[in-house]
Amino acid sequence: MRTPYYHLAGVEARYKDKTALLVDELTLPAGQVNVVTGLNGSGKSTLLNVLAFLIQPTHGLVKFSGKRVLWERAQLRELRRSVTLVHQCPFLFRGTVASNVSYGAKARGVEGDALQQRVEQSLELVGLSGFESRNANRLSGGEGRRVALARALACNPEVILLDEPLAYVDELSSGIIENLLVTLVQRGVLVVASSHDPTLGVRLNARTIRLQKGRLVPDCEPQRSYAIELPENSVHAIL
Amino acid sequence: MGSLAQSVITAFSLIFSANREVSAAVWTSVSTAAWSTVIASLFGLPIGITIGLSDFPLKRLAIILLNSLMAMPTVVLGLLVFGLLSRQGMLGGFGLLFTPNAIIVGQSLLATPIIANYALSSVRAADARILPTALTLGASPMQSFAQLTNEIRFGVMAAVIAGFGRVISEVGVAMMLGGNIRWYTRTMTTAIALETSKGEFAFGLALGIVLMLISFSVNVGLNLMQEDHQP
Repeated sequence: MRTPYYHLAGVEARYKDKTALLVDELTLPAGQVNVVTGLNGSGKSTLLNVLAFLIQPTHGLVKFSGKRVLWERAQLRELRRSVTLVHQCPFLFRGTVASNVSYGAKARGVEGDALQQRVEQSLELVGLSGFESRNANRLSGGEGRRVALARALACNPEVILLDEPLAYVDELSSGIIENLLVTLVQRGVLVVASSHDPTLGVRLNARTIRLQKGRLVPDCEPQRSYAIELPENSVHAIL
Repeated sequence: MGSLAQSVITAFSLIFSANREVSAAVWTSVSTAAWSTVIASLFGLPIGITIGLSDFPLKRLAIILLNSLMAMPTVVLGLLVFGLLSRQGMLGGFGLLFTPNAIIVGQSLLATPIIANYALSSVRAADARILPTALTLGASPMQSFAQLTNEIRFGVMAAVIAGFGRVISEVGVAMMLGGNIRWYTRTMTTAIALETSKGEFAFGLALGIVLMLISFSVNVGLNLMQEDHQP
Protein backbone atom coordinates (compact mmCIF):
# COMPACT_ATOMS: atom_id res chain seq x y z
CA MET A 1 0.00 0.00 0.00
CA ARG A 2 1.24 3.47 -0.86
CA THR A 3 2.17 5.69 2.05
CA PRO A 4 -0.65 8.20 2.55
CA TYR A 5 0.32 11.75 1.76
CA TYR A 6 -1.77 13.03 4.60
CA HIS A 7 -2.96 11.58 7.83
CA LEU A 8 -4.84 13.82 10.21
CA ALA A 9 -5.81 12.71 13.71
CA GLY A 10 -7.68 14.76 16.28
CA VAL A 11 -6.97 17.95 14.37
CA GLU A 12 -8.64 21.08 15.65
CA ALA A 13 -8.22 24.55 14.19
CA ARG A 14 -9.68 27.50 16.06
CA TYR A 15 -10.17 31.14 15.20
CA LYS A 16 -10.17 32.93 18.55
CA ASP A 17 -12.89 31.10 20.51
CA LYS A 18 -14.53 29.40 17.56
CA THR A 19 -13.67 25.93 16.34
CA ALA A 20 -13.40 26.15 12.58
CA LEU A 21 -12.30 22.58 11.99
CA LEU A 22 -12.43 19.39 14.06
CA VAL A 23 -11.29 16.26 12.27
CA ASP A 24 -11.15 13.00 14.24
CA GLU A 25 -9.37 11.08 11.50
CA LEU A 26 -8.74 11.65 7.82
CA THR A 27 -6.39 9.95 5.41
CA LEU A 28 -5.73 11.34 1.95
CA PRO A 29 -3.67 8.95 -0.17
CA ALA A 30 -1.80 9.83 -3.36
CA GLY A 31 -3.27 9.46 -6.81
CA GLN A 32 -6.73 10.38 -5.73
CA VAL A 33 -9.03 13.29 -6.34
CA ASN A 34 -10.86 14.45 -3.27
CA VAL A 35 -13.69 16.94 -3.31
CA VAL A 36 -14.45 18.71 -0.04
CA THR A 37 -18.01 19.95 0.07
CA GLY A 38 -20.01 21.87 2.62
CA LEU A 39 -21.83 25.08 3.27
CA ASN A 40 -20.17 28.44 3.82
CA GLY A 41 -18.24 28.36 7.08
CA SER A 42 -18.17 24.57 7.20
CA GLY A 43 -14.36 24.56 7.38
CA LYS A 44 -13.44 23.75 3.77
CA SER A 45 -10.93 26.57 3.38
CA THR A 46 -9.51 25.96 6.85
CA LEU A 47 -8.93 22.30 5.98
CA LEU A 48 -7.16 23.29 2.76
CA ASN A 49 -5.01 25.81 4.64
CA VAL A 50 -4.03 23.14 7.17
CA LEU A 51 -3.18 20.76 4.32
CA ALA A 52 -1.15 23.55 2.69
CA PHE A 53 0.74 24.01 5.98
CA LEU A 54 -0.40 27.61 6.18
CA ILE A 55 -2.49 27.23 9.33
CA GLN A 56 -1.15 25.34 12.31
CA PRO A 57 -3.91 23.40 14.06
CA THR A 58 -4.52 24.22 17.71
CA HIS A 59 -4.45 20.51 18.54
CA GLY A 60 -3.89 17.23 16.83
CA LEU A 61 -1.50 15.36 14.62
CA VAL A 62 -0.80 15.97 10.96
CA LYS A 63 1.42 13.54 9.07
CA PHE A 64 2.67 14.10 5.56
CA SER A 65 4.16 11.15 3.67
CA GLY A 66 4.54 9.31 6.94
CA LYS A 67 6.38 12.11 8.72
CA ARG A 68 4.90 14.09 11.55
CA VAL A 69 4.48 17.78 10.77
CA LEU A 70 6.26 19.72 13.52
CA TRP A 71 5.28 23.19 12.24
CA GLU A 72 8.87 24.38 12.42
CA ARG A 73 10.09 26.93 9.92
CA ALA A 74 12.68 24.75 8.15
CA GLN A 75 10.35 21.78 7.85
CA LEU A 76 7.44 23.94 6.74
CA ARG A 77 9.43 25.42 3.90
CA GLU A 78 10.35 21.95 2.68
CA LEU A 79 6.76 20.70 3.02
CA ARG A 80 5.30 23.72 1.23
CA ARG A 81 7.46 22.83 -1.77
CA SER A 82 5.53 19.57 -2.14
CA VAL A 83 2.13 21.20 -1.90
CA THR A 84 0.53 24.08 -3.76
CA LEU A 85 -2.72 25.77 -2.86
CA VAL A 86 -4.71 27.67 -5.46
CA HIS A 87 -6.93 30.07 -3.56
CA GLN A 88 -10.60 30.68 -4.29
CA CYS A 89 -9.79 34.13 -5.63
CA PRO A 90 -6.18 33.60 -6.63
CA PHE A 91 -3.85 36.53 -6.29
CA LEU A 92 -1.78 37.27 -9.34
CA PHE A 93 1.35 39.27 -8.71
CA ARG A 94 2.02 42.47 -10.61
CA GLY A 95 3.71 41.75 -13.89
CA THR A 96 3.30 39.42 -16.80
CA VAL A 97 1.64 36.03 -16.95
CA ALA A 98 5.09 34.47 -17.45
CA SER A 99 6.51 36.13 -14.32
CA ASN A 100 3.56 34.80 -12.33
CA VAL A 101 3.76 31.28 -13.67
CA SER A 102 7.50 31.09 -13.13
CA TYR A 103 7.36 32.38 -9.52
CA GLY A 104 7.04 29.05 -7.70
CA ALA A 105 9.41 27.22 -10.00
CA LYS A 106 12.01 29.96 -9.50
CA ALA A 107 11.60 29.66 -5.73
CA ARG A 108 12.43 25.97 -6.20
CA GLY A 109 15.65 26.84 -7.99
CA VAL A 110 14.52 26.18 -11.56
CA GLU A 111 16.05 28.68 -13.99
CA GLY A 112 17.05 29.35 -17.58
CA ASP A 113 15.64 27.25 -20.40
CA ALA A 114 14.13 24.72 -18.00
CA LEU A 115 12.13 27.49 -16.39
CA GLN A 116 10.93 28.86 -19.69
CA GLN A 117 9.95 25.38 -20.80
CA ARG A 118 7.94 24.83 -17.64
CA VAL A 119 6.14 28.12 -18.11
CA GLU A 120 5.23 27.31 -21.69
CA GLN A 121 4.10 23.78 -20.87
CA SER A 122 2.03 24.86 -17.88
CA LEU A 123 0.29 27.53 -19.92
CA GLU A 124 -0.36 25.04 -22.68
CA LEU A 125 -1.99 22.66 -20.20
CA VAL A 126 -4.47 25.30 -19.11
CA GLY A 127 -5.12 26.42 -22.67
CA LEU A 128 -3.31 29.74 -22.42
CA SER A 129 -0.40 29.31 -24.82
CA GLY A 130 0.89 32.63 -26.05
CA PHE A 131 -0.26 34.51 -22.94
CA GLU A 132 3.28 34.80 -21.54
CA SER A 133 3.73 38.53 -22.09
CA ARG A 134 0.18 39.54 -21.15
CA ASN A 135 -0.36 41.71 -18.07
CA ALA A 136 -1.57 39.34 -15.37
CA ASN A 137 -3.85 41.93 -13.83
CA ARG A 138 -5.74 42.50 -17.05
CA LEU A 139 -7.07 38.99 -17.53
CA SER A 140 -10.65 37.83 -17.19
CA GLY A 141 -11.64 35.93 -14.05
CA GLY A 142 -11.50 32.56 -15.79
CA GLU A 143 -8.14 33.31 -17.41
CA GLY A 144 -6.76 34.50 -14.09
CA ARG A 145 -7.89 31.26 -12.45
CA ARG A 146 -6.17 29.25 -15.17
CA VAL A 147 -2.97 31.29 -14.84
CA ALA A 148 -3.02 30.53 -11.10
CA LEU A 149 -3.43 26.86 -11.92
CA ALA A 150 -0.58 27.02 -14.44
CA ARG A 151 1.54 28.69 -11.75
CA ALA A 152 0.77 25.79 -9.42
CA LEU A 153 1.53 23.22 -12.13
CA ALA A 154 4.87 24.85 -12.92
CA CYS A 155 5.91 24.05 -9.34
CA ASN A 156 5.58 20.37 -10.18
CA PRO A 157 3.88 19.63 -6.84
CA GLU A 158 2.96 16.27 -5.32
CA VAL A 159 -0.26 17.75 -4.00
CA ILE A 160 -2.53 20.38 -5.52
CA LEU A 161 -5.13 21.97 -3.30
CA LEU A 162 -7.82 24.04 -4.96
CA ASP A 163 -10.26 26.25 -3.13
CA GLU A 164 -13.46 26.45 -5.21
CA PRO A 165 -11.64 26.01 -8.52
CA LEU A 166 -14.79 26.29 -10.61
CA ALA A 167 -16.43 29.26 -8.92
CA TYR A 168 -17.14 32.13 -11.30
CA VAL A 169 -15.47 30.53 -14.32
CA ASP A 170 -17.03 30.07 -17.73
CA GLU A 171 -17.85 26.70 -19.27
CA LEU A 172 -14.62 26.56 -21.28
CA SER A 173 -12.38 27.23 -18.27
CA SER A 174 -14.44 24.86 -16.18
CA GLY A 175 -14.02 22.03 -18.68
CA ILE A 176 -10.28 22.62 -19.00
CA ILE A 177 -9.80 22.65 -15.23
CA GLU A 178 -11.89 19.52 -14.65
CA ASN A 179 -10.06 17.55 -17.32
CA LEU A 180 -6.72 18.71 -16.01
CA LEU A 181 -7.53 17.59 -12.47
CA VAL A 182 -8.32 14.09 -13.63
CA THR A 183 -5.13 13.97 -15.69
CA LEU A 184 -3.06 15.11 -12.74
CA VAL A 185 -4.56 12.45 -10.53
CA GLN A 186 -3.70 9.79 -13.05
CA ARG A 187 -0.11 10.98 -12.90
CA GLY A 188 -0.07 10.28 -9.16
CA VAL A 189 -0.77 13.80 -7.91
CA LEU A 190 -3.05 14.12 -4.91
CA VAL A 191 -5.77 16.62 -5.74
CA VAL A 192 -8.00 18.11 -3.06
CA ALA A 193 -10.62 20.57 -4.28
CA SER A 194 -13.26 22.31 -2.24
CA SER A 195 -16.55 23.05 -3.89
CA HIS A 196 -20.08 24.19 -3.22
CA ASP A 197 -21.13 22.24 -6.27
CA PRO A 198 -22.40 18.83 -5.09
CA THR A 199 -22.16 17.45 -8.62
CA LEU A 200 -18.42 18.09 -8.99
CA GLY A 201 -17.50 14.96 -7.08
CA VAL A 202 -19.83 12.93 -9.27
CA ARG A 203 -18.46 14.47 -12.47
CA LEU A 204 -14.89 13.72 -11.41
CA ASN A 205 -15.88 10.35 -9.95
CA ALA A 206 -14.02 11.48 -6.87
CA ARG A 207 -14.00 10.81 -3.19
CA THR A 208 -16.27 13.31 -1.52
CA ILE A 209 -15.45 14.63 1.91
CA ARG A 210 -18.38 16.44 3.45
CA LEU A 211 -17.86 18.99 6.17
CA GLN A 212 -20.54 20.33 8.42
CA LYS A 213 -19.74 22.96 11.04
CA GLY A 214 -16.09 22.01 10.79
CA ARG A 215 -16.66 18.27 11.28
CA LEU A 216 -16.48 15.41 8.80
CA VAL A 217 -19.71 13.75 7.76
CA PRO A 218 -18.64 10.11 7.39
CA ASP A 219 -20.87 8.93 4.58
CA CYS A 220 -18.65 8.85 1.53
CA GLU A 221 -16.49 6.05 0.29
CA PRO A 222 -13.56 6.75 -2.01
CA GLN A 223 -13.96 5.73 -5.61
CA ARG A 224 -10.98 5.17 -7.85
CA SER A 225 -12.28 4.83 -11.39
CA TYR A 226 -12.45 7.83 -13.65
CA ALA A 227 -15.23 8.08 -16.16
CA ILE A 228 -14.15 11.33 -17.75
CA GLU A 229 -12.51 11.15 -21.14
CA LEU A 230 -9.03 12.63 -20.99
CA PRO A 231 -8.02 15.55 -23.16
CA GLU A 232 -5.59 15.18 -26.03
CA ASN A 233 -2.80 17.03 -24.29
CA SER A 234 -1.16 15.33 -21.37
CA VAL A 235 0.88 16.44 -18.44
CA HIS A 236 3.70 14.00 -19.18
CA ALA A 237 6.03 16.73 -20.25
CA ILE A 238 5.74 18.69 -17.07
CA LEU A 239 5.25 15.93 -14.56
CA MET B 1 2.57 94.51 -7.32
CA GLY B 2 5.43 96.09 -9.21
CA SER B 3 7.76 95.27 -6.36
CA LEU B 4 6.61 91.65 -6.36
CA ALA B 5 7.12 91.37 -10.12
CA GLN B 6 10.59 92.87 -9.76
CA SER B 7 11.38 90.35 -7.00
CA VAL B 8 10.25 87.47 -9.18
CA ILE B 9 12.47 88.66 -12.04
CA THR B 10 15.42 89.05 -9.67
CA ALA B 11 14.72 85.61 -8.19
CA PHE B 12 14.81 83.95 -11.62
CA SER B 13 17.96 85.81 -12.56
CA LEU B 14 19.59 84.53 -9.35
CA ILE B 15 18.54 80.98 -10.26
CA PHE B 16 19.62 81.09 -13.90
CA SER B 17 22.91 82.82 -13.12
CA ALA B 18 23.64 79.95 -10.70
CA ASN B 19 24.26 82.39 -7.86
CA ARG B 20 26.87 80.81 -5.58
CA GLU B 21 25.00 81.46 -2.38
CA VAL B 22 21.76 80.08 -3.78
CA SER B 23 23.59 77.04 -5.13
CA ALA B 24 25.31 76.41 -1.77
CA ALA B 25 22.02 76.52 0.11
CA VAL B 26 20.36 74.25 -2.45
CA TRP B 27 23.23 71.76 -2.27
CA THR B 28 23.23 71.69 1.54
CA SER B 29 19.47 71.21 1.60
CA VAL B 30 19.38 68.48 -1.02
CA SER B 31 22.37 66.55 0.30
CA THR B 32 21.28 66.60 3.95
CA ALA B 33 17.69 65.75 2.97
CA ALA B 34 18.85 62.89 0.73
CA TRP B 35 21.06 61.36 3.40
CA SER B 36 18.38 61.81 6.06
CA THR B 37 15.83 60.12 3.79
CA VAL B 38 18.14 57.18 3.13
CA ILE B 39 18.84 56.68 6.83
CA ALA B 40 15.20 57.16 7.82
CA SER B 41 14.13 54.69 5.12
CA LEU B 42 16.56 52.08 6.41
CA PHE B 43 14.85 52.27 9.80
CA GLY B 44 11.34 53.44 8.95
CA LEU B 45 10.47 50.94 6.22
CA PRO B 46 11.30 47.79 8.22
CA ILE B 47 9.61 49.26 11.31
CA GLY B 48 6.40 50.08 9.41
CA ILE B 49 6.26 46.83 7.47
CA THR B 50 7.04 44.73 10.55
CA ILE B 51 4.37 46.44 12.64
CA GLY B 52 1.92 46.01 9.76
CA LEU B 53 2.62 42.31 9.36
CA SER B 54 3.00 41.19 12.94
CA ASP B 55 0.55 40.79 15.72
CA PHE B 56 1.80 41.65 19.19
CA PRO B 57 0.20 42.86 22.43
CA LEU B 58 1.37 46.47 22.23
CA LYS B 59 0.70 46.92 18.51
CA ARG B 60 -1.98 49.56 18.99
CA LEU B 61 0.27 51.51 21.34
CA ALA B 62 3.11 51.31 18.81
CA ILE B 63 0.84 52.70 16.08
CA ILE B 64 -0.38 55.52 18.34
CA LEU B 65 3.24 56.32 19.19
CA LEU B 66 4.20 56.42 15.51
CA ASN B 67 1.27 58.71 14.73
CA SER B 68 2.20 61.01 17.61
CA LEU B 69 5.83 61.18 16.51
CA MET B 70 4.67 62.21 13.04
CA ALA B 71 3.16 65.33 14.52
CA MET B 72 6.19 66.20 16.61
CA PRO B 73 7.15 69.87 16.17
CA THR B 74 10.52 70.17 14.48
CA VAL B 75 11.79 72.69 17.01
CA VAL B 76 11.03 70.30 19.86
CA LEU B 77 12.87 67.53 18.06
CA GLY B 78 15.68 69.97 17.33
CA LEU B 79 15.81 70.90 20.99
CA LEU B 80 16.05 67.26 22.12
CA VAL B 81 18.77 66.42 19.62
CA PHE B 82 20.54 69.68 20.52
CA GLY B 83 20.62 68.43 24.11
CA LEU B 84 22.17 65.16 22.97
CA LEU B 85 24.74 66.70 20.62
CA SER B 86 25.80 69.68 22.72
CA ARG B 87 29.06 69.41 24.65
CA GLN B 88 27.33 68.39 27.86
CA GLY B 89 25.10 65.93 26.01
CA MET B 90 25.49 62.15 25.69
CA LEU B 91 26.80 62.44 22.14
CA GLY B 92 28.65 65.73 22.66
CA GLY B 93 32.03 64.04 22.22
CA PHE B 94 31.39 63.50 18.50
CA GLY B 95 31.44 67.24 17.84
CA LEU B 96 28.49 67.05 15.48
CA LEU B 97 26.59 70.15 16.57
CA PHE B 98 26.39 72.91 13.94
CA THR B 99 27.57 70.59 11.17
CA PRO B 100 25.59 69.14 8.24
CA ASN B 101 25.82 65.77 10.03
CA ALA B 102 23.85 67.19 12.95
CA ILE B 103 21.13 68.23 10.52
CA ILE B 104 21.15 64.71 9.06
CA VAL B 105 20.76 63.17 12.53
CA GLY B 106 17.82 65.43 13.38
CA GLN B 107 16.12 65.10 10.02
CA SER B 108 16.52 61.30 10.05
CA LEU B 109 14.71 61.21 13.39
CA LEU B 110 12.05 63.50 11.94
CA ALA B 111 11.46 61.39 8.82
CA THR B 112 11.61 57.92 10.37
CA PRO B 113 8.08 57.91 11.89
CA ILE B 114 6.67 59.46 8.71
CA ILE B 115 8.19 56.76 6.49
CA ALA B 116 7.23 54.05 8.99
CA ASN B 117 3.62 55.26 9.06
CA TYR B 118 3.32 55.35 5.28
CA ALA B 119 4.86 51.88 5.02
CA LEU B 120 2.48 50.62 7.70
CA SER B 121 -0.50 52.01 5.79
CA SER B 122 0.72 50.37 2.58
CA VAL B 123 1.02 46.99 4.28
CA ARG B 124 -2.45 47.35 5.80
CA ALA B 125 -3.90 48.24 2.41
CA ALA B 126 -2.05 45.41 0.64
CA ASP B 127 -3.95 42.35 -0.47
CA ALA B 128 -4.02 39.80 2.33
CA ARG B 129 -3.43 37.00 -0.18
CA ILE B 130 0.09 38.11 -1.16
CA LEU B 131 2.00 36.35 1.63
CA PRO B 132 -0.02 33.07 1.66
CA THR B 133 0.24 32.92 -2.13
CA ALA B 134 3.99 33.33 -2.08
CA LEU B 135 4.37 30.84 0.78
CA THR B 136 2.25 28.19 -0.86
CA LEU B 137 4.29 28.56 -4.03
CA GLY B 138 7.33 27.53 -2.03
CA ALA B 139 8.86 30.93 -1.31
CA SER B 140 10.84 31.34 1.90
CA PRO B 141 9.60 33.88 4.46
CA MET B 142 12.25 36.31 3.17
CA GLN B 143 11.21 35.77 -0.46
CA SER B 144 7.57 36.24 0.53
CA PHE B 145 8.51 39.45 2.34
CA ALA B 146 10.37 40.63 -0.77
CA GLN B 147 7.34 39.83 -2.91
CA LEU B 148 5.09 41.79 -0.58
CA THR B 149 7.47 44.75 -0.71
CA ASN B 150 7.49 44.51 -4.50
CA GLU B 151 3.69 44.51 -4.58
CA ILE B 152 3.51 47.60 -2.37
CA ARG B 153 6.47 49.32 -3.99
CA PHE B 154 4.51 52.43 -4.91
CA GLY B 155 3.41 52.77 -1.31
CA VAL B 156 7.04 52.36 -0.29
CA MET B 157 8.11 55.00 -2.81
CA ALA B 158 5.38 57.30 -1.57
CA ALA B 159 6.68 56.78 1.97
CA VAL B 160 10.23 57.68 0.96
CA ILE B 161 9.07 60.72 -0.99
CA ALA B 162 6.87 61.88 1.89
CA GLY B 163 9.92 61.62 4.15
CA PHE B 164 12.06 63.55 1.68
CA GLY B 165 9.37 66.19 1.28
CA ARG B 166 9.15 66.61 5.03
CA VAL B 167 12.87 67.03 5.66
CA ILE B 168 13.69 69.26 2.72
CA SER B 169 10.99 71.72 3.73
CA GLU B 170 11.59 71.84 7.48
CA VAL B 171 13.26 74.76 9.25
CA GLY B 172 13.41 73.97 12.97
CA VAL B 173 15.90 71.10 12.94
CA ALA B 174 18.17 72.70 10.33
CA MET B 175 18.18 75.99 12.25
CA MET B 176 18.78 74.53 15.72
CA LEU B 177 21.25 71.81 14.84
CA GLY B 178 22.95 73.36 11.81
CA GLY B 179 23.13 76.90 13.13
CA ASN B 180 22.46 78.45 9.70
CA ILE B 181 26.17 78.93 9.02
CA ARG B 182 26.80 80.57 5.64
CA TRP B 183 28.46 78.28 3.05
CA TYR B 184 28.32 75.40 5.50
CA THR B 185 25.02 74.54 7.13
CA ARG B 186 22.71 77.11 5.58
CA THR B 187 19.85 75.29 3.90
CA MET B 188 17.19 76.69 1.59
CA THR B 189 14.62 77.01 4.35
CA THR B 190 16.93 78.61 6.90
CA ALA B 191 18.25 80.94 4.20
CA ILE B 192 14.69 81.92 3.23
CA ALA B 193 13.88 82.72 6.87
CA LEU B 194 17.07 84.74 7.33
CA GLU B 195 17.15 86.62 4.02
CA THR B 196 13.47 87.55 4.19
CA SER B 197 13.93 88.92 7.70
CA LYS B 198 16.82 91.00 6.32
CA GLY B 199 14.58 92.36 3.59
CA GLU B 200 16.19 90.29 0.81
CA PHE B 201 12.84 89.14 -0.48
CA ALA B 202 14.08 88.25 -3.99
CA PHE B 203 16.78 85.96 -2.59
CA GLY B 204 14.24 84.18 -0.39
CA LEU B 205 11.86 83.94 -3.31
CA ALA B 206 14.56 82.40 -5.54
CA LEU B 207 15.17 79.68 -2.97
CA GLY B 208 11.43 79.23 -2.52
CA ILE B 209 11.04 78.66 -6.27
CA VAL B 210 13.87 76.10 -6.29
CA LEU B 211 12.31 74.34 -3.30
CA MET B 212 8.95 74.17 -5.04
CA LEU B 213 10.56 72.91 -8.27
CA ILE B 214 12.36 70.12 -6.42
CA SER B 215 9.17 69.09 -4.66
CA PHE B 216 7.19 69.26 -7.91
CA SER B 217 9.80 67.26 -9.87
CA VAL B 218 9.94 64.49 -7.29
CA ASN B 219 6.16 64.15 -7.30
CA VAL B 220 5.93 64.23 -11.10
CA GLY B 221 8.56 61.48 -11.21
CA LEU B 222 6.56 59.34 -8.79
CA ASN B 223 3.37 59.94 -10.71
CA LEU B 224 4.97 58.94 -14.02
CA MET B 225 6.40 55.77 -12.49
CA GLN B 226 2.98 54.84 -11.15
CA GLU B 227 1.35 55.43 -14.53
CA ASP B 228 3.95 53.30 -16.29
CA HIS B 229 3.23 50.40 -13.97
CA GLN B 230 -0.52 50.64 -13.66
CA PRO B 231 -2.06 47.14 -13.60
